[in-house]
Amino acid sequence: MKRILAHPLIVTALMVLTSIAFILVAGLPTLWPEQYPALNPIHVDTDPENMLPKDEATRVFHNAMKKQMSLYDMVVVGIVNDSHPDGVFNKASLAKVFELTEYAKTLRWPDPEDPDKQAGVVEIDLLALSTVDSMSQGGLGVVTFEWLMQNPPSTDAEALAIREKALRIPFLKGTLVSEDGKAVALYIPLTSKEMSHKVATALEAKVATFGGDERFHITGLPVAEDTFGVEMFVQMAISAPIAMVVIFFLMYFFFRRIVLIVGPMIVAMVSVIWTMGLLIATGNTIHIMSSMIPIFIMPIAVLDAIHILSEFFDRYDESKPRKETILAVMQTLFKPMLYTTLTTMAGFASLAFTPIPPVKVFGLFIAFGVGAAWFWTITFIPASIMLIPKRMLKGFGLKQEKSQTATPSLMTRLLASMGEITYRHPKLVIATTAILSVIAVYGFFQIRINDNPIKWFNASHPIRVADKVLNDHFGGTYMAYLSLEYDSETEGSEAYAERFTAALKARARSDEEDAFVPMMAEVSKEAIEEVKRLAGKAESEAALLDALDAYVNKKLDTVPFESAEAWEEVLFLIDLQRQQGQVFKQPEVLRFMSDLQDHLLSTGVVGKSNSLADVVKTVHRELFLGEAAAYRIPDSAGAVAQTLMTYQNSHRPQDLWHFVTPDYKTSSIWVQLKSGDNIDMARVVESVDEFIGNHPSDLPLKHRWFGLTYINVVWQEKMVSGMLNAFLGSFLIVLVMMIFLFRSITWGILSMIPLTVTIGLIYGVIGLIGKDYDMPVAVLSSLSLGLSVDYAIHFLARSRSLQQTEGNWEKAHRHVFGEPVRAIVRNAVVVGFGFLPLLAAPLVPYQTVGIFIAAILLTAGAATILILPALITMMQNWIFSEKQAVGQANTTLKGGLS
Amino acid sequence: MKPYRWHITLGAFILLLSIPFPAAAKETLSADAIIEKANHVAYYQGKDGRAQVSMNITDSQGRKRQRRFTLLRRNVPSETQVDADQQFYVYFHRPADVNKTVFMVHKHVGKEDDRWLYLPALDLVKRIAASDERTSFVGSDFFYEDVSGRGIDEDRHTLIETTKNFYVLENHPKDPAEVEFESYKVWIHRKTFIPIKMSYFNKNKEIYRTYEALKVETIQGRPTVVKARMKDERGQSETVVDYRNVTYDIDLPDEIFTERYLRNPPKRYLR
Repeated sequence: MKRILAHPLIVTALMVLTSIAFILVAGLPTLWPEQYPALNPIHVDTDPENMLPKDEATRVFHNAMKKQMSLYDMVVVGIVNDSHPDGVFNKASLAKVFELTEYAKTLRWPDPEDPDKQAGVVEIDLLALSTVDSMSQGGLGVVTFEWLMQNPPSTDAEALAIREKALRIPFLKGTLVSEDGKAVALYIPLTSKEMSHKVATALEAKVATFGGDERFHITGLPVAEDTFGVEMFVQMAISAPIAMVVIFFLMYFFFRRIVLIVGPMIVAMVSVIWTMGLLIATGNTIHIMSSMIPIFIMPIAVLDAIHILSEFFDRYDESKPRKETILAVMQTLFKPMLYTTLTTMAGFASLAFTPIPPVKVFGLFIAFGVGAAWFWTITFIPASIMLIPKRMLKGFGLKQEKSQTATPSLMTRLLASMGEITYRHPKLVIATTAILSVIAVYGFFQIRINDNPIKWFNASHPIRVADKVLNDHFGGTYMAYLSLEYDSETEGSEAYAERFTAALKARARSDEEDAFVPMMAEVSKEAIEEVKRLAGKAESEAALLDALDAYVNKKLDTVPFESAEAWEEVLFLIDLQRQQGQVFKQPEVLRFMSDLQDHLLSTGVVGKSNSLADVVKTVHRELFLGEAAAYRIPDSAGAVAQTLMTYQNSHRPQDLWHFVTPDYKTSSIWVQLKSGDNIDMARVVESVDEFIGNHPSDLPLKHRWFGLTYINVVWQEKMVSGMLNAFLGSFLIVLVMMIFLFRSITWGILSMIPLTVTIGLIYGVIGLIGKDYDMPVAVLSSLSLGLSVDYAIHFLARSRSLQQTEGNWEKAHRHVFGEPVRAIVRNAVVVGFGFLPLLAAPLVPYQTVGIFIAAILLTAGAATILILPALITMMQNWIFSEKQAVGQANTTLKGGLS
Repeated sequence: MKPYRWHITLGAFILLLSIPFPAAAKETLSADAIIEKANHVAYYQGKDGRAQVSMNITDSQGRKRQRRFTLLRRNVPSETQVDADQQFYVYFHRPADVNKTVFMVHKHVGKEDDRWLYLPALDLVKRIAASDERTSFVGSDFFYEDVSGRGIDEDRHTLIETTKNFYVLENHPKDPAEVEFESYKVWIHRKTFIPIKMSYFNKNKEIYRTYEALKVETIQGRPTVVKARMKDERGQSETVVDYRNVTYDIDLPDEIFTERYLRNPPKRYLR
């Protein structure tokens, strides 16, 4: 410390240089990525999927299924026209819809990662009126396959005819055309979600050229994410500087010397630079969580500096050497600052125990930032005080000020009378606390765990508006997918070979005239030989069939024409065998899916669902004159197969593979939810489990969910349990630290009481007012613990030392409610208000964090100065009897904070 | 004994392409004349014909599906027109569950075709409106029009280049609203008049669909494509079609191309 005070300029220079280094390491690769390939540039991540680790099973499955079913992230354009009685189904509006669709098809650019490929819109999977087929009756029993809207309609009547056709097709109704027949949607699939900004911007520009009464709502998850990324930076650019300003004014209010306040502000900035620099340099991303790091570090970073300044303020005497005053200040404050820093770090670091990667990063880096702030506070702040010219401190300090003002301030008087209440009526305070706690416990059990990323935007945000409009018109814009997979049992290739051999023999013996194939007997014999040979080698039934298939095909290249037909017949038998596993052609399986879909509708959350069963029923109906009674699953697997082959005679044969894999072993049902609330998705999941439990099918079908709406539920569940663990973990760590600090179990437990009551109250209130327990609320619990224990440390330490010097608690408590309590209130105000600028942020989670952390800190401050003195008053004879420990601890904690 | 599948390698085909043209062959043909000859070679050789066809469809994920059918084709004799109306009968063998499904076309030049579908499992004969022939042929990358032939009067043809081996023609639809392409380019072999390659361009002048003849054999004196590929450049899926046991002039009777034969396939002609 002496060395620091002797070379204040060197300390300052070191701080500036390291900060510049951090800025360069993070800034250079961001601005000039090519010149600095070894360094990590800034990387923004707004993907909610990343709330789960990349290798998390649900996420791996989600991505595998997306690929398997050719599903893409989509930009959704909802088009409404409220001024026309038929909505957008008029000549003029549909012309614009057509033009926009044609334009969307062209939005492709060379892929920066692979110049041979293109990135942007996936044209063949684009869903729009003009890109889908209509299957309808063409008169005289003729069925017509045609584009639903090959060209823009030339009359309003044609526009209405298009609507009529579209509403007949279940797949389109409620998805592409609104159920009320007024609005349409475009679903624009993207090669990757990174393209969404470019695509959405281009679409907006195109829409701007239209004019007219139509409104175009451009939305979809990738667009929301992009917007989110932008607003995240707005948050950092607005809230963080406002926080700086607020802290600056609060400190100015307390110390009245700009020259002194500059030091803590510099420490706050340096801590933020170090932390964010390290975050970027280590390749971590700017995520919704990590974007809040600066605003968390700033108020915490100035805290220790405030302690030093307060103490310096009290001790400063112009006539004494400044160096000695600072040394005395640092000696008094070193330990308590270390401990409060450690508890805060422990609170944040405990977030590392959650299974959510962005939350881990958030917790660990704030812990680092708090540590950095502490380091520069104990080095740079004393050094900076040494650098201040003497004349600038003229009239500074308690001594100097006391001579000027005599009457105690309002706050001083208010706090003193509060202290009296806790001393005279401790039971009243404790009883009130107890009653509030009971109410809090009740409230706690009312807590509703729920989240919805769309609701992270303000209600007036264009994304929220689009979301509302589209959900009013369509079957729901929140997509979840239920995959059903045939869980086939294997019998082993040997047993299978035997069965196949029997089939070959039976075919060879068949003597029906119709089935006669020359050379069949001879060819069967040869095929059976081959099956026998293969049976020992093939790993699975499928491998056996594949090997035999290859053998026969090779044979066909050389055999004479006379036996070729028999070999073709063997191929036919192979195909028959293969088809036995194609369960999604089985009528009973499709009927089961259909029943399941009806059940989904009964949940009230699901607006619509699409599946293979709907495709089959629709095509079947059109094959049978479009009659409503024919809207059903036909009675044999062959009939289903032939219906589906008919369906594939369209402009979009690949559409079938969004619903089933070509091996017909896996199928997925598209579920459109009206709400993206996790609680609603969870209800649907539960309801499906129940239905499947009550309706066991003969075939073993494994069901599993994917889709982002479902992923949100998964990470929320992990978050809730993870947060509970993190909270309990940090609670224990802080408790152990307290017991060690006070060298007493009783005092350790005592120090935990105010924050426990505070957190209980806050979460009780959350339950009572019906605020959803969402991501930001979850994160707050454990980090507020580390912050609010500080007050108890200071309060108890000063109480103990004053008890010792004054001899009894009656006298001591009055002193405690003087300067020490004043310091606690100051701190609660600075930190609490320091977070309030988050209210200016454009995104709801930031606002939630701002309000709740301010509430927690102010409540914790109040709980500390009310509950602890009341408890001490009631327990004074017992707790102050632990003389030895007290004496020892007081030497280390003397002074505490002020 | 004749092998069931002929094998003239691609090498042989290249040899065929490299046959030098005598100077006399340098007569200048009009674009329409070239297209007429190519159309004849591709769709009208012999008075009728049969082929055992395998379609192997590979999607963008590499998943394969196969269709196996017999194709019968008969030119409707006409006093007044050459290369005009035709009849097609497509009988499916595999996948096993679409076995016996039949697709039949009466192709008319100058008016809409007649199309029928027979679905045995539903015991249903269905007439299909042929207003749009540019839809997928049973889920493959080929269109119905690729199987039965696009009317040569539907496009305007321009000869844009004559290379050593090929006439390169650009074709624009007379009614652009009816088709999804803006134009297509075709490479027609100068000696055989076989269309070797076709590239379809969309409105952005990007190629989105490509046809290539992969193997040509001379069957009964007629150069015949026995293997071809259609590739969808957008979805990266492709369909390779193999024509085996191609036979011309088998005297197919007119009557088998009627509704009655959909339910009772003419077995002896399908082998």
